[in-house]
Amino acid sequence: MTPKQPPRMATWMLKHFGSGSNNDAVLGDLAEQYVQNGSTMWYWRQAMQAIPVSFFREIRAHKVTAAKALLTGWVLWILGGMLIFPVAFYGTNVGFEFEPSHPIGSLWSFMWMPVLGPVSSYWSFPLAVALPLIVGLVCGWLVGRWEICAQRQPLSIRMSRVQRDQQTGVVLLFAGSILLLNLLLAGPFVLTVGSQVAYIFSGLLAANVAASVVGVLFGGGLFGDRSRIANS
Amino acid sequence: MKTLLAMAQFLQYCEQMRKGEYLGNFDLMLLLALMRLGEDAYGVTIAQELEAQTGLEVVVASVYATLDRLQERGLVSSSLGDSTPERGGRAKRYFRITGAGIREVRGAQRSLMNLWKGLPELRGEKA
Repeated sequence: MTPKQPPRMATWMLKHFGSGSNNDAVLGDLAEQYVQNGSTMWYWRQAMQAIPVSFFREIRAHKVTAAKALLTGWVLWILGGMLIFPVAFYGTNVGFEFEPSHPIGSLWSFMWMPVLGPVSSYWSFPLAVALPLIVGLVCGWLVGRWEICAQRQPLSIRMSRVQRDQQTGVVLLFAGSILLLNLLLAGPFVLTVGSQVAYIFSGLLAANVAASVVGVLFGGGLFGDRSRIANS
Repeated sequence: MKTLLAMAQFLQYCEQMRKGEYLGNFDLMLLLALMRLGEDAYGVTIAQELEAQTGLEVVVASVYATLDRLQERGLVSSSLGDSTPERGGRAKRYFRITGAGIREVRGAQRSLMNLWKGLPELRGEKA
């Protein structure tokens, strides 16, 4: 007889977004308990709680790796944005403007360049999605595999491999930081431009942020085939 | 003399707290569950034991997160076990309490017993 199958969606989410070397054991325990006496609600509750619990455990246990991943990700994001956005808007008057007196405005002009740039409405949606998706894919791929390391003697900066069981945690952290920064920027934006103007941009901005986050998660390998991470 | 000893114990406890070395409530419950389960302590049985004794639902992932932390402190050890079809072919991870873990539980028991002594509220004399 085939054992009772746990909810597929919850299993998929935990398999792809659960961090650390215990993820496989947690999935096995949940499946076993579900077969014995668990309800669908119980399984979903356990799986959805396991994702943040394992994420924060990983970040807490590997603070230095997490900090390096954030640094690597944002350095790459800024470099990627500076390289790709101007190419996409070549020949237009769209660009990044840094004003020390208005740091939040500078961040808007950089992070939301594909959305706020005065391009034709025909191109606005594809650009708002495609550009952050490309930058996100590249940054996510690199953050999930490499981290910046500094060496004192001789003084140098090099890249080293991220351990496999730490990949999910660092990619989620970087994607989360992008989401958080965008949410923090949204408040002042609404207050500055007014709710009516902000409403006009809201769809494009949401698509832009979603594309950035999905790009990082996809590039970081979180949607791919997650072969089992060996328990340490 | 007794006061001095109590103060020293208190200061030692504060120092352990600062270093994050003291046992929290959940840490202690997990170590006691490992002692009760012996050889058969893995995620499912630990969660079931805790639920049976406390009546509260336990998040399996938090059991692992806490046991990982206790393992880093040398209070528990772990090993991979067998897998069954109902686990989707995934291996069990068994945990055992170490000698240091047992000493830590004894220390916590002593401290708690000392703190519990002579409290009328816990004898049901006061609300």
